[in-house]
Amino acid sequence: MAPKKVEPKKTEVKKVEAKKEEPPPPPKPAEPEPKPPEVDLKSIVVEFTPDQVEEFKDAFSLFDQTPTGEMKITYAQCGDVMRALGHNPTNNEVLKLLGRPKAEELNIKLLDFDNFLPMLQHVARSKEQGNFEDFVEGLRVFDKEGNGTVMGAELRHVLATLGEKMTEDEVDRLMAGQEDANGHINYTDALRHSRGGV
Amino acid sequence: MGCGMGKSSLQEKKCTRVSIYSVPAIRAALLIQRWYRQYVARLEMRRRCTWNIFQSIEYAGEQDQIKLYSFFGFLMDHFTPASSERNLISHIFRENEICRDTEWERYFCYKDIEVPDSYTGPHLTFPMTFCGVSKLVEAFKQKQQLHARYVLQILGETWRLLRILPNINHVSVCQTKEITICGDLHGQLEDLLLIFYKNGLPSSEKPYIFNGDFVDRGKSSLEILLILFGFLLVYPNDLHLNRGNHEDHIVNLRYGFTKEILGKYRVHGKKILKLLQKIFSWLPLATVINDKVLVVHGGISNSTDLNVVSRVDRHRYVSVLRPPKVVHQTLNGNRNEGDNGPAEGRRRVRSLTNHSSALPQRNSLPRRSLQNSSISHQLSSSVEDELKRRRRLAGFDQTYKNANGSDSDSDPDFAEAPEANGHDWKQIVNLLWSDPMPQNGCISNEVRGGGCYWGPDVTEEVLGRHNLQLLIRSHECKQDGYEFCHNRRVLTIFSASNYYEVGSNRGAYIRMGADLVPHFIQYQASRTCRDLTLRQSVGWTERSALRALREQLFVHKSDLIRAYREFDPHHTGKISMRHWASATETVLKLGLPWRVLRSQLVSRTHYGMVDYQQWIKELSITEPKLEVSDTSILETMYKNHSNLETIFRIIDTDHSGLISLEEFRQTWKLLSSHLKMEISDKAITDLAHSIDFNKDGSIDINEFMEAFRLVDLSAHG
Repeated sequence: MAPKKVEPKKTEVKKVEAKKEEPPPPPKPAEPEPKPPEVDLKSIVVEFTPDQVEEFKDAFSLFDQTPTGEMKITYAQCGDVMRALGHNPTNNEVLKLLGRPKAEELNIKLLDFDNFLPMLQHVARSKEQGNFEDFVEGLRVFDKEGNGTVMGAELRHVLATLGEKMTEDEVDRLMAGQEDANGHINYTDALRHSRGGV
Repeated sequence: MGCGMGKSSLQEKKCTRVSIYSVPAIRAALLIQRWYRQYVARLEMRRRCTWNIFQSIEYAGEQDQIKLYSFFGFLMDHFTPASSERNLISHIFRENEICRDTEWERYFCYKDIEVPDSYTGPHLTFPMTFCGVSKLVEAFKQKQQLHARYVLQILGETWRLLRILPNINHVSVCQTKEITICGDLHGQLEDLLLIFYKNGLPSSEKPYIFNGDFVDRGKSSLEILLILFGFLLVYPNDLHLNRGNHEDHIVNLRYGFTKEILGKYRVHGKKILKLLQKIFSWLPLATVINDKVLVVHGGISNSTDLNVVSRVDRHRYVSVLRPPKVVHQTLNGNRNEGDNGPAEGRRRVRSLTNHSSALPQRNSLPRRSLQNSSISHQLSSSVEDELKRRRRLAGFDQTYKNANGSDSDSDPDFAEAPEANGHDWKQIVNLLWSDPMPQNGCISNEVRGGGCYWGPDVTEEVLGRHNLQLLIRSHECKQDGYEFCHNRRVLTIFSASNYYEVGSNRGAYIRMGADLVPHFIQYQASRTCRDLTLRQSVGWTERSALRALREQLFVHKSDLIRAYREFDPHHTGKISMRHWASATETVLKLGLPWRVLRSQLVSRTHYGMVDYQQWIKELSITEPKLEVSDTSILETMYKNHSNLETIFRIIDTDHSGLISLEEFRQTWKLLSSHLKMEISDKAITDLAHSIDFNKDGSIDINEFMEAFRLVDLSAHG
């Protein structure tokens, strides 16, 4: 079993993909939940304003693909909806909130808005949101020459094999139109255009 | 192995790779991934929003059209033959003029049409050959226009061929012969050319099925038709055409095909349109591949019976929008729970249904057809009163017949619509207008106004009953050009790329061999958009959608202000965001997520309040090019732009593009009757006088519509 280094700042970062189930995670300073192994959704107090909740409902309904707008999304969509609303959970955090569903269940089990809201609140409170500067820092790690470029091929490999692996499709989309003739990506240029993202 | 992280051999392989990367690298990867996933999710939300805007506006337009047409049907059924106003529109119902084929042949004869020496377009010889059609394709690529003589010639030949084709084409594919299936093209010639480029031209080794909606919206509907008909003439056994809901002259009046023809062929346009009307009615309704795969434009319903379909007289249904005449006492009190009448709003596009109260009752809705639509619930209430009111509004004369004894009332020309056609008609409407839905069941398609929504259980039942394994249909635009549903038993294929806007979606076509497994080829017509990043393509489409939405908001200005004021009893000029969203939805009824859109529509809010007066003022979309004193007429004008144009074109029976002042007045009366609002004679006269009459008191329809076209003044690209 790979020993896990607990980084005091980034709590989720150390998870190397392992075949086994996660042991109970060590206590995280940023998250206020009382029980370490699972998040107790019932104990979360929702502090969003009614206006905010209405807006979340609208966004939630955009992802609702049930027949008559039952206001439910699949487990698989949960992370994306949270991200669409401006938060930034890792996939692992989302799975934890969902109660560690099996892979086959992700596209089948449904989550309604009332159960989604406390999860969103939990994620919103997390101090480890990960912002744009972090993203740039991340890229800089692969900038071997320190000149504002990274190797496209290396980035592809890294994103597809490390961390919370991305699929080939996701990587393709990320890279679309970014690599120059030598396979380099000038990330400072690219970032200038998408400063702050969406 | 020098792996600093793990000792077990299970982990070894992974560790070897991982150990090349230090912990900072892993951390960095996670940061990038995390940030990127958020970026994509937010883009996805914008994309879905944009998609819904376009679809809502599109389907609302279709529904409007059907309502208008139903209204005409209502008028036709309930007024005396003597009324002159009725004559204005009666000709559109003269669907099956009793006319022998030889008379038609004489009417459509092209022989007297001379092709001048100055003509630089392609010359055709008949019988059509592969070379001839390829020449035609080349010419259209060079943006040449085919002379009217040749157009009529091709159309004439096509008509003769189509008449001998069955309602349902049966084709077979084998090891050496794959078939290609294309969906909606909607006048987008670039897409057809791209398909031919990637896949090859049709031939006996390369059979094709085109699944309807060749025309409307795009600019080159006629060119597409001519190419398809050309190949049909050369390879009648290998080129198959299915009728779509847009192969319908009434729909064409609204969605651009009629205008395209009249614009391109000023002298012979009318004849061409008439001939196309017949051709459309003769298009086959469906194709079956190897007795296993059904290809049809819209879809099915729980009552779909291909045996019945194969026996109908398909050519009787020149316009699928018009149900056959039915004695109205059969209208049962199948009133809807108030959830669909002309006064009621449109439902949100299916996949984003409204979480309002109407919906939970959906499962209990009785199955309704277009016949029993909006008209029925007015009739089942005080019929006499309603009739009186409408007649008064439309300025019709006061005598009328009882709704129940309508037979002798009929226009002699459509007395021949027999009762039996009711069932046949439904079969056809459902094939051409229906959409699939995720839930089980079969209910009428209120969003479009025609056909039904059918569920996975209906798919299983109908396919099972006919011993089929797959249903391929089109009719709905899909982001990736194709989409499976109903457990992969239903496949939607859509071939018009960039349908809503540059970058909005890809088009696709299917290749299928003897194994009947569909393979997809996707494309996007414009070279520029292939290189667009996800963000750019979402951005362009979004800007376009927002522009369209702002137009809708603009045309409903007065209603919006009125609705906002209800939440602002003290006239502060400000309302909360929640009220803004709710009022806007009540007025526009597009079923859109207004709160999500708010940030892009309303630039400033003060402490969560929307200054609606200011905002409406900022929505400056256009300045009317004509001076009109009565601003309410102006608003009606903008709101009912398409309806008005449709009525104009219907009234303009000789397709001259001109209508008289009197006809203009009648148009407004018809419209005001349909909308159930009063427009004073004076207002109409004023409007008419403000237009520059330069041709003996007639109005040029195109010029008039142009003057009122919405131009977004606030847009900056």
